[in-house]
Amino acid sequence: MKQNANWIFLFVFALISHVGLAQNQEVTGTVVDNTGLPLPGVNVIEKGTTNGTQTNFDGEFTLQVDNDAILVFSYLGMKEQQVTVGNKTSLDITLQPDTGQLDEVVVTALGIKREKKSLGYATQEVGGNEVSDVATQNFTNALSGKVAGLKVKSSGTMGGSTNVVIRGNASLTGSNQALFVVDGTPIINQNSNTNAQRTGGGGYDYGNAAADINPDDIESINVLRGAAASALYGERAANGVIIIETKRGQKNKGIGVTVRSSVMFSNADDETLPNYQQKYGAGYGPYYQSEDGYFNLSDVNGDGVLDETTPFTEDASFGAAFDPDRMIYQWNSIYPELDTYQQASPWDAAEYTPNDIWETGYTMINSVALDGGTDKSTYRVGFTNLDQEGALPNSSITRNNIKFSASHDLTDKFSVNSNFNFIKTDGKGRYGTGYDALNVMQSFRQWNQSNVDLYKQRDAYFATGSNITWNPNGPNNLTPIYTDNPYFTRYENYQTDTRNRYFGNINLNYQISDVFSVLGRFTFDTYSELQEERKNVGSVGVSGYSRFDNRVAEYNYDLILNFNKDLTDDLNLDGNVGFNLRRNEQSSIRASTNGGLNAPDFFALSNSKDPLNPPSEYEADQMLDGIFARASLGYLNTYYMEATMRRDRSSTLPSSDNTYYYPSISTSVLLSNIIDKDWLSFAKFRANYAQVGSGTDPYRVFNTYLVSAPFDGQGVASLNGTLNNLELKSETSKSFEVGLESSFIDNRLSVDFSYYNTRTEDQITPVPVSNATGYTRKLLNAGEIENKGFEVLLNGKPLQMDDFNWNVSVNWSRNRNEVISLTDGVDNLQLASLQGGVSINAAPGQPYGAIRGTDYVYDDNGSKIVNSDGYYETTDSNNNVIGNIQPDWNAGITNSFRYKNFRFSFLIDIQEGGDIFSLDTWYGMATGVYDVTAGINDLGNEMRAPLTGGADSGGIILPGVNADGSQNETRVPFDTYANPYGYARDANKGHVYDASYIKLRELSLTYDFSDKILEKLPFTNASISFIGRNLWIIDKNLPYSDPEAGLSSGNVQGYQSGAYPAMKQYGLNLRFNF
Amino acid sequence: MKKYLIIFTVAFLFASCSDDEKYERLNQDPKNPTQVSEDFLFTSATVSLGDFLASPNVNINIFRFVSQYLTATTYVDEPNYDLTNRNIPQSQWSEIYRDVLLDLDDAKGYINDNADLSQSEKDARIGQIEIIQVYAWQVLVDTFGDIPYNEALQAETNTLPAYEDDAVIYEDLIERLQAASTLLNSGQGFIGPDVIFGGDMSKWNKFNNSLQLRLAMRISDSNPSLSKSAAEDAASKGVFTGNQDNAIIAYQSSPPNTNPLWEDLVQSGRSDYVAANTIVDIMNDLEDPRRTYYFDQNLGDGVYEGGIYGSQNPFSGSTHIGEAFRDPTHAGIYLDFAEVSFHLATASDLNYNVFGDTETHYNNAITASMNYAGIDDQDAIDTYLSKPNVSYDPANSNALIGTQFWIAMFDNPLEGWSTWRKYDEPSLNLPGSTENPVPVRYTYPVNEQNLNEANYNEASQAIGGDTQQTPIFWDVN
Repeated sequence: MKQNANWIFLFVFALISHVGLAQNQEVTGTVVDNTGLPLPGVNVIEKGTTNGTQTNFDGEFTLQVDNDAILVFSYLGMKEQQVTVGNKTSLDITLQPDTGQLDEVVVTALGIKREKKSLGYATQEVGGNEVSDVATQNFTNALSGKVAGLKVKSSGTMGGSTNVVIRGNASLTGSNQALFVVDGTPIINQNSNTNAQRTGGGGYDYGNAAADINPDDIESINVLRGAAASALYGERAANGVIIIETKRGQKNKGIGVTVRSSVMFSNADDETLPNYQQKYGAGYGPYYQSEDGYFNLSDVNGDGVLDETTPFTEDASFGAAFDPDRMIYQWNSIYPELDTYQQASPWDAAEYTPNDIWETGYTMINSVALDGGTDKSTYRVGFTNLDQEGALPNSSITRNNIKFSASHDLTDKFSVNSNFNFIKTDGKGRYGTGYDALNVMQSFRQWNQSNVDLYKQRDAYFATGSNITWNPNGPNNLTPIYTDNPYFTRYENYQTDTRNRYFGNINLNYQISDVFSVLGRFTFDTYSELQEERKNVGSVGVSGYSRFDNRVAEYNYDLILNFNKDLTDDLNLDGNVGFNLRRNEQSSIRASTNGGLNAPDFFALSNSKDPLNPPSEYEADQMLDGIFARASLGYLNTYYMEATMRRDRSSTLPSSDNTYYYPSISTSVLLSNIIDKDWLSFAKFRANYAQVGSGTDPYRVFNTYLVSAPFDGQGVASLNGTLNNLELKSETSKSFEVGLESSFIDNRLSVDFSYYNTRTEDQITPVPVSNATGYTRKLLNAGEIENKGFEVLLNGKPLQMDDFNWNVSVNWSRNRNEVISLTDGVDNLQLASLQGGVSINAAPGQPYGAIRGTDYVYDDNGSKIVNSDGYYETTDSNNNVIGNIQPDWNAGITNSFRYKNFRFSFLIDIQEGGDIFSLDTWYGMATGVYDVTAGINDLGNEMRAPLTGGADSGGIILPGVNADGSQNETRVPFDTYANPYGYARDANKGHVYDASYIKLRELSLTYDFSDKILEKLPFTNASISFIGRNLWIIDKNLPYSDPEAGLSSGNVQGYQSGAYPAMKQYGLNLRFNF
Repeated sequence: MKKYLIIFTVAFLFASCSDDEKYERLNQDPKNPTQVSEDFLFTSATVSLGDFLASPNVNINIFRFVSQYLTATTYVDEPNYDLTNRNIPQSQWSEIYRDVLLDLDDAKGYINDNADLSQSEKDARIGQIEIIQVYAWQVLVDTFGDIPYNEALQAETNTLPAYEDDAVIYEDLIERLQAASTLLNSGQGFIGPDVIFGGDMSKWNKFNNSLQLRLAMRISDSNPSLSKSAAEDAASKGVFTGNQDNAIIAYQSSPPNTNPLWEDLVQSGRSDYVAANTIVDIMNDLEDPRRTYYFDQNLGDGVYEGGIYGSQNPFSGSTHIGEAFRDPTHAGIYLDFAEVSFHLATASDLNYNVFGDTETHYNNAITASMNYAGIDDQDAIDTYLSKPNVSYDPANSNALIGTQFWIAMFDNPLEGWSTWRKYDEPSLNLPGSTENPVPVRYTYPVNEQNLNEANYNEASQAIGGDTQQTPIFWDVN
C-alpha cells in the first residue's frame, strides 16, 4: 500500500510541474463575500484549462495564468463569477450569495434536471457527506432522522436489512420500500430473506440490496416524497424515490486525489440487553426428583449413590435459590472430555452472563478516488474497501466497490457519459434471527439457565471443539435437547454469502437544436449471489447444509426527447416525451441436504444422509413498457404549471387488460416575487395531484400446482393455496399535496411545510378467504389505504459570526394511516401470524399494522379484572387489537456548530408512539430470566417465596379489580413458570410495549487542517473527525431491548423475537485531498 | 431536425407495441405447471390425509393427547386442551379442505377429461377418490359438527360457504359410499398412485364397506334405523377380514416421506412426549401384552410408568413410546381390521343382522390388535382374553368394548377419541395443570369467525354453541 501511495504522489507532482511550465503570468487576489469577510476554499480555475487553485484561510490566492485568461470563481452557496484577467496582476473579488433556492437545480424523476423553484412538489436534499462521514455498512441507516417523512429502521443485526418507507405504508401486501435510483439507474433493493425469516421463524437477515451503494461515491441525495414528483418512474414511484447522484470529475480540473480512511468501533448498548436475575437457578419449578423438587437424581460420580444434578433439559430459571454451599452436579460434570467430569460445583449464579458474549466490533473503510477532466471529458475512478468485524464471535463482512464514471463531448452537440460499478460483498457468520436455535439471543432472552456461566461454556467449546451444551437430554444422553453451546452455534453453524454486482448506465445526449435535445439511456443492475447455511453434526435438531443461488437483473431502456423554448419573453415551455422499457429477470434455486449430514465438518450437498429432495426453483421474467409525456409552463419566472401522463403495459396483468394510464398535475407560485417585503427572502406555494398505476408480481393470473418430492416414486402435486385471478386490473394510488416553502431575514430562517393525502385503491391483494373453499387466499382487486400527514422542515442560523456559526435543522413528520376498506365479507387481512399467538393485521377503520392477540378483560372503568384466584382474566380469543406498529410522529434535530477550523454537530432522532410485541419477555418472564421475576414484593419479601398468608409471604398482588368491582387483594404465587407475568398466565397485551425513543443518533467533531499546516503537507485539504453513532438512547419504554430492533425489512414490523442489542459506534475519519 | 423527430417517433412507436402473446407467456410460471395428471393429485391427497392422521405435532394433530395416550414433558398447554394458542382447529380445517378435498375434486375433473381412460377405469378411479373424500369429510364432521359441505370448495363463485347439518352430511356420506361401491366394481382404478393398496380393487371394496360400517356404527344412537340398515349393508357386501386388509400407508425411510411420528419423536431430537398415565395405568392393571409394543422399557424390564396427564413430567422418569413408533417407516393407519371387528361386535350387540356373534367379533378385534402389535403367541392372547376385566360379558358389553376399542386405537388416535366419545369408556383423567374437561369437539377455526362470520354464527347457534363441550350429533348417550 505504501508503494502505491508513493506512486500516486509521483504522478501528482509530475502532473503539477508539467502544468506549471505552460504559464507566463502571475495573478494574486483576495476573495470576500458580500459582507467583506474573506472566503477560504474558493475554487479558482482558469477557464478552458485544468489550471486552478483554492483560496487560503484569508481568502487569498496566487495563480500562474495565460495573458488572455478568464478566471472562474466558484464557492458553494455563492454565485459563480467569471473575470477576465487581461493585464491585471491583482484581483479583488466579491462573491454574491446564491439567494437561497432561487437558482438551485435539482435532479428529478428520470434524471431530468429542474430548477427547484419551479417544482410543484416537495423534495429534500441530503449532502453526500452526511451519509459518508459516518462509516456504516448500509448507508441507508445514515438517512435516519434526516429527512421529513422518511422512516428508516434497521433490523439490528450485522449487515441486516433496513426498512426504508416514505410517507407510510401505501400497499397492503406489496412492497412499501422506496425506490433507489443511482445516476439514473434504478437499483434493485430486494431482500432475499425467506418468508420464515421475515415472520420470526428463524434464518438469516441478508440485508437489503441497496446497501451495496458506496456512501463515499455519493455527491447528493434527493428524496422525492410524493407521487407527483415521481410519477414518471411508473409503478414503483408510489412509494417515493431516493435519487442519488454520485461524484463525478469536473471539466478543466487537474487530477484530484481524495483519500479517506475511517474506523468505527461498536459495542452493544447495555440498555438494550437483558438484566438477568441472579438469585435462582435452573428449572421451571419444584417438579423434579430431589427432595426439594428442584434437582434431578443421577449417580454422576459413579459411587453408587444418587447425586443431585441440574435439571439439564429445563431451559428456565425458576429453580432452587442459589446457595454456594450446596454442591450440585452441573453440566460440566457430565462430559467425560472436561477436566470437571464427575465433579460437583457450588450452586451459584453465573459470573459471566450471556451479555458477556458481546465483543468490540469494528468497521474500517478505506477509499481512494481520482478525478479530473479536460475541456471535453471528465472522469472519476473510485475504489473503496470495507472491512467489518461483527460484535458477535466469528462474524464479518467485506465489501469492495469499484466505480468508474466518465463523460466525453464527441462534438459540440453530442455527448456521451457512462458509469460502471462493480461491488463484491462477502459475509460470514451473520446473526441468526427469530425463534430458532441458530439465534443465540433466543436462549439468552427467552430460555436461559442463570447458573450457566458463559465463559465456562466458551472454554468448554474451545477445549473440545464439540457441542458441550448446558442443555443435553440428560446425564446419560448428551445430545442437545433445545439449545446448543452458543460458541458452537457461532463457530460451527455459521453461514457465508457472496454477492457480485454490476450496475451502471450509458447515456447519449444529442442537442438537436436550441429547443430540442434527445437522450438515449441504457441502465443495468445485475447481481448473482450465493448464500450457504450450515448446521454441523451434533447440533440441536437436524444437521444440514443448504445453498441458495440467486440471479437478479433489471434493465431499462429510455429514449427521451426534451424541449425547452421561451414562447414569449415571459412565457417558457419545457417538457419531454419518451419511453421506458423495463425488463426484470430473476432465477433462483435453493437446495438442501435431506435428513442431516453424514460426516461432520463437511458442508456439501453430497454429504446428505438421505437422498436429496428436489431443490426449489424460481424463475420469472417481467416486462413493463411505458410511454410518457411531460410539459411545464413558466410565466414571469413566478407562475409554474406542470402536467405529466404515462401509459404502462405490464406483463404481470392479464394480457386482455394490461394497459393503464395515469396523469399528474402540479403548480407552484413564487410568492416572494409578488410580495416584496424585506424580511421575506423567498416564498413559494405549491400544490399537486397525481395518480400512479401499477401492476403486480408475476404469476398471479393463472392457477398453478405445487409439485413436490415424489412419494415412493409417484409424482405429488397440490393446488396452490392462493386462487389466482384471470381478471386482475391495475391498482391505482391517488395523491394530493400542498406545501409552502419560505425563508426569512436573509435566509437566516427557512420553513418548508407539506400536507399530503394518498389513497391506494383496487389493490391487488391476496385476500384471505374461508379455508372451507379449499384455498386460504384469493387474489382480488380489493383494499384501499389512506395515508395523510404533515411534514415540517425548519432551518435556522441563529448565530453567524466571523469565527462561529450555529445552524439548526429540524424535521418533523406525522403520518396518519388508515385502511379504508378490504373487500365484502372480509374485515381483517392478516399480514403475518407470529409465534406467541399474535398477528400483524390490516383491518378497515384502523391503521395498517394492527397487532392482535389476547387481551385482559376490563371493567367499565378500564381496570383489569382478576379472577377468584387472583390472576388476570384474559380473553379466550386472540383476535383483540392490542397495539399498532404505526408511530404518531417522527422528528430529527440537527445542531451544527463551526468555530474556526472546528466543526461539531449532533443529531437527535425521535419517534413517538408505535407499538411492539416482545416474544422475548412473553417467554422470558415465564422462564424467570429477567430481574423483575426475582424482585421484592409489597411486604418486603422475595416474590418467589412461598405464600404463607402472613407477613413473611411471597407472591404478588396484581393491580386490578375483582368481578364485583372491589380492589383485588388476592395474593398469587410467583414461584414457578406459571406465574402471572409470562406466557403461561399473562395476556399478549402485557407484552406490547411503546416503541417510542429519543436517541442521540449521530455526533461528530471535525477539524479541518488550516492552510498554514497544509502548506507544509502535500495536501490541498485535510480533515480529521471523531464520529459517534447511536451513543446514547436518551429515552425509551421498551425494557431490555432496542425499540428499533426487528426481524427484517418489509411489512412485518412491531415484533421482536431474540432481538439483538443496539450498537454504540464510535471512531475516527480521516480525509485528504491532493 | 426533421429526421431526428422521425427516428424518435419510429422508436417511440416500436416501444409501444409488443405482441400480446409475449406478455402472456411471461406470466406463465415455467417452474409450476398449470396442468398436472390426476395421479399426482390422488397420491398427494392420500398422503396428506395419512400424514395428518399420524402426526403428533402440537401444531397439527393433538388427538394423541386428547385421547390420553401420550402427554407432554415440559410444554403442557396442548395436553390441557389449549386449542387456540397454536390455532390447531385452523390447521386441521385448512389441511383437510385444501390438501385433501380440493385436490381430489380437482383430480375428478382430470379423470373425466382423460381420453386415455375407459369409462370403467374412470369410474373406478372416481370410486377410490370418493372413499378418501368421504373419509376426510367424516374427519371434519367428527371433529367440528356442522361444517360447510355442499357450498364448500367453490372459491371461484362462493367464498362464504354456508354450514350444513352434521347428521344430514353423514346420511349423504353413507349414500356416497354405497354409490362408490358400484363404481369400484366397474374396473381397474389407480395402481401406482394408490399408496394404500397398490390398485387392489377387492381391498378397496372392503375399505369402502368398512368405512361405511364405521359411519353406520357412529350413528347407532342418533339414527338407529339408518345405522342398522347401513351396517347390515356393509357387512353383507364384505368388510375387512384380517390385518392383511388393513388400510394403511407404508411410509418411506427418508424425509419428507417418513411417518410424521418419526419427525417429532426422533428427527427433532426433542424429548417432548411420554406415555400418559391414563393408558399405562389401565394396561398395567390388565397386564396387557401390547405394552411391549406401545411402550419403551426405558424404566426397566416390564416397568411402565406414565407421565401424569397434563402435568409437567420428567422425561427420564416416565415411560416413553415404543421403539416401533420411532421407525420412519412405521405404517400410518386409516382403518384396520381391529376397528372393523369392534364395530361388528357392537352391531351384533345391538342385534343388527351382521354375521357372527358379539363375543367372536370382540375377541377377533383384540386378537387383531395383538397380532398387529407383533404378539402372535396365541396362548398369551387367550390368557388375556380370559382375564376378568377383559373376558366378554354381555352384561358389561359397552364398558368392555369401549375400553378395548380405545386401547386398540393407540396408533389411530382420532378414532380413539371418537371411541371414547361414543362409548364414554374408559374414564379419562382431568389434565393436571388446568383440570379442564376432555373436549368432545374442537372449536371452529378462529379465522372462520373473521372470514365467514354470518355462516359461522348460524352454525354455532345450530350446534348449541361453539365450545369444546358441545357434543357432535352422534354423541348423544
